[in-house]
Amino acid sequence: MSDIVRMVVVLSLIAGFSSAALTVANIKLGPQIEKQTDLYVRGPALERLFKRPAEEVLGNKVIIHAVDQDIPVFFTKVDGVVSILAIEAVGKGGFGGDLKIMVGVDLNAGRMIGMEVVSHSETPGLGARIVEISFRKQWQGLPTDTPIALTTAGGTIDSISGASTTSGAAVRGTNDALVFVRDYKDEILKSISEL
Amino acid sequence: MAQKFIPTLTAGWWKRIPPFRLVLGLCPALAVTMSAENGLGMGLATAFVLILSNGAISTLRNVIPSKVRIASYIVIIATLVSIVEILMKAYFFPLAEQLGIYIPLIVVNCIVLGRAEGFASKNPPFISMVDGFSVGTGYAISLTLIGSIREILGAGTWFGNPVLGESFEPMAFLVTAPGAFVTIGTILALQNLYSRWRGEKFIQG
Repeated sequence: MSDIVRMVVVLSLIAGFSSAALTVANIKLGPQIEKQTDLYVRGPALERLFKRPAEEVLGNKVIIHAVDQDIPVFFTKVDGVVSILAIEAVGKGGFGGDLKIMVGVDLNAGRMIGMEVVSHSETPGLGARIVEISFRKQWQGLPTDTPIALTTAGGTIDSISGASTTSGAAVRGTNDALVFVRDYKDEILKSISEL
Repeated sequence: MAQKFIPTLTAGWWKRIPPFRLVLGLCPALAVTMSAENGLGMGLATAFVLILSNGAISTLRNVIPSKVRIASYIVIIATLVSIVEILMKAYFFPLAEQLGIYIPLIVVNCIVLGRAEGFASKNPPFISMVDGFSVGTGYAISLTLIGSIREILGAGTWFGNPVLGESFEPMAFLVTAPGAFVTIGTILALQNLYSRWRGEKFIQG
């Protein structure tokens, strides 16, 4: 009997010690991992959106606590006034899972400056063409006060041929981001001024 | 112990060099050696896990009941691998992205469990860590070698720097999966040929 007890105790002790070690590692290195993710995953999208090196923009980050999730928002200022926001949004229901996109909004003009894909797992040659500029440039200059839609739904966005699911996910993600900006604009500006 | 130190230290670099002699850990050797950098990164990650897991398992070898030893080893190895993954994500993010799923898969790399069961569970901590270092660095050397051959001949670069000039037509075959089998097979054959010519005794394990 004591053999079994000893087995259970030893195994539990090892497992407990292991989880403690992992917790410490996760807590200690979490912020560093977040920084690296910003630089290598979001960096390229931000670079194209703001048309300046990612290092300049990455510091301008606030995290807004929305109803069910935390949304990272990047911004640039002109003459001390916040001019452009980049909101990360999730395009639900892509063909290979959710898309992660970044929507650029020019607050002064009330128009979008573009949409960038942060990460996706769409089919190469079909849905993966979402990263091509020919599709994404349709976002440039659209007004932010009306939701966007695909042409099949009476909107202005031509979907990628053979990948309407992917295109739909990008549109849904964008609309979520637009609603988020409208509802949380004051909160975003407040957190930016508190930085 | 002193007379064991040198043989243990050097065994991993030739006599039981993985994956050629100790024919274990072939899966990552085939999968991630598209370039020398990937091979080196994977080899060093495995070496790190191997040294620490050998040390930990050898320290606990008299505490762990033999009936649950494999489970205990796996828990220890899995913890170390997770720590390596966190460290790589924090400091070598692009490499971690490149190696992807193969970092967590070090847990089931037979070399780690093989050295734990075959060496660390029977020897004191220090010499076990020496064995881990030796086998781990041997693995890193092998992976870098395989990666270098595939990268130089298959892409004309080494660690990302062009080495063979503009006129070289890369053999793209070598950077694909079948190229890995051919490269490893060729190296294995050459090593066996050399050993036979020298009249060396083969050791297993």
